[in-house]
Amino acid sequence: MLGQLWAKSWDPKGKHCYVTGGSSGLGLAVAKLLVLKGAHVSVVSRNAQRLESAMKELETVRTSPNQVLKSYSYDLITATGAREALDAVCEPHQRRNPDAIFMLAGSCHPRFFIEETEETMKTQMDQTYWVQAWTALEASKRMVRDKSKGKIVFHSAYIGYITLIGYAAYGPGRMAIRALADTLRQEFLLYDIDIHIAFPGTMYTPGYDIENATKPKITLKIEETDPGVTGDQYAKGLLRGVQSGDFHISPDLLGNIFRASMRGVAPSSNFFVDSFWNFIGWVGLPIWRMTVDSTVKGHRKEHEEYLSNKGFYSSSNKSFSQ
Amino acid sequence: MLQYLGLENGVITLILSTLFLALWKMWPTKKWDPRGQFCYVTGGSSGLGLAVAIALTKRGAHVTIVARNEERLAKALAELEKTRQSSNQILRSYSFSLTDADASYAALEAASKDHGNKYPDTVFMCAGAARPGFFVEEDAKSMQKGMDNTYWIQAYTALAYTKQLVRSQTSGKLVFTCSLLGYMSLIGYSTYSPGKHALRGLAESLRSELILYNSSVHIMFSGNIDSPGYVEENRTKPKITLEIESTDKPTAPDVLAKELINGVQRGDFHIAPDMLSNIIRSSTTGATPHHNVLLDVLYALIGWIGLPLWRRGVDSTVLKHRKEHKDYLATRGFFKSTD
Repeated sequence: MLGQLWAKSWDPKGKHCYVTGGSSGLGLAVAKLLVLKGAHVSVVSRNAQRLESAMKELETVRTSPNQVLKSYSYDLITATGAREALDAVCEPHQRRNPDAIFMLAGSCHPRFFIEETEETMKTQMDQTYWVQAWTALEASKRMVRDKSKGKIVFHSAYIGYITLIGYAAYGPGRMAIRALADTLRQEFLLYDIDIHIAFPGTMYTPGYDIENATKPKITLKIEETDPGVTGDQYAKGLLRGVQSGDFHISPDLLGNIFRASMRGVAPSSNFFVDSFWNFIGWVGLPIWRMTVDSTVKGHRKEHEEYLSNKGFYSSSNKSFSQ
Repeated sequence: MLQYLGLENGVITLILSTLFLALWKMWPTKKWDPRGQFCYVTGGSSGLGLAVAIALTKRGAHVTIVARNEERLAKALAELEKTRQSSNQILRSYSFSLTDADASYAALEAASKDHGNKYPDTVFMCAGAARPGFFVEEDAKSMQKGMDNTYWIQAYTALAYTKQLVRSQTSGKLVFTCSLLGYMSLIGYSTYSPGKHALRGLAESLRSELILYNSSVHIMFSGNIDSPGYVEENRTKPKITLEIESTDKPTAPDVLAKELINGVQRGDFHIAPDMLSNIIRSSTTGATPHHNVLLDVLYALIGWIGLPLWRRGVDSTVLKHRKEHKDYLATRGFFKSTD
């Protein structure tokens, strides 16, 4: 903790930064910020069209003709996809591993647990956990083999700390990626690789619209007072956290309260400030939870009608395909 | 003057409500009784699952155990028969691979046939396994298997059971079994702690969501269990992980089974079977309901100082291990591999 007061802030200038999910939302915002700070940036996502318009945006903030700005279309939810993407990304840099990897790809699809199927649960795990884990695995192996220094930046969400109704498939993935980051933080003390993980809350991005399309009404109701930020605003906080060497990055009030309340064994950047956040959470979170529970309880009848209208009670389907 | 009175009232209210909350958890409430209940136990042929099945049988429940290995299931069922309390108890076993979604559903269906197509009153999900290793030595298969054997192996059962509970408009209980590695993580557990944290996430969302259906969730966080699974796990566990864990003695499964059932009876959401679990639980509470507020504050205070100190010690051990680890990777040809 004290060591950070004297630590040199990490500077992206001249470094090769690989950003997954970099064609929209938080990923694009972080990519733009890195370009502004003079980094070489490689962006990977699935949609070729979005990648094209993202590249145009990155070019508008280019600070020097030497910056290498590239984009590639790959699906990162398989180990093979992650490996091929990494190969492509390293190619223009003499096959050298990126100096920093920002894994910001993913999506959220909340719904009632009983409306999940095997497919939707697996997709959600793909979009929260595997889309980052495979890239982390591939990159780690190479970086350790080549004895390179570097940073791997994961992302989770508030829901990776505190979860609630509607997130039964999403919460697990967000908590799982937190666990992976926690494991690697300690394990990578064996190597010269820094681990970071950011926990954004509500962000007004295209992803947010997708999320709200399936989100149960009750979840929307519970969340309606949550403050939100734009992707650009959060990107600034995220990058600041990486530059300062924070492990769990939570550059906002709720994020700090949640993080400190869930700290467990994870290191904190400031023990005393975190103890303060922890105390606030200790008092505030149970109150929040009790009001949410009460809201859910009051929703029983409406929910019963909702399920009835969807023919849930009359279904005799005893498999996961429905 | 008025302000002073107001403050005094406020302090009195705070003290009274704290006392109330503290005593509330100690008040005897209607306890869940396994007698006559239809209990479904996954991973029930060995280790914790078998201990839970035996404990439930002893308390007069109908017990169905589910696991993969038929031979182990047969031996386990024989043990359940030895502790049978009455001739009315329905004791059964079924072989299914619960890392498969359809099999998880089929297993519940098979079990319900013994009870007039009624689904279990309580589902104890004790299935799971660990294969610790260094992250850079993992591959796609081992990572997938890790998630299958920690998360999906319980999540599919939970999904099938919950759907049926709601469909039939009855209430029930889900009991997950997790690990201290569902609260925090440690070097060597990159294929294990994510799935265990995922279980916590599932349980937390479900606790909130099952209020809609008058059903409850419980989840136990235990340390190492003295079981065949533990022996298996230690065969490939990195030496450094073994070294860090060397001060933790594994707990006997029947002790944990008793704690689990007691926790369910008390209505605890997170079940912490010992001092260490309670300390870690209280240090990573988030919005999870407390047990006894005063005790939890005590645990949290211990953790507040103790856990960072412990972690620093472990980090220091890992740092000292760097050279040995480099030699280890070199002997395994890691640096030459182009894979």
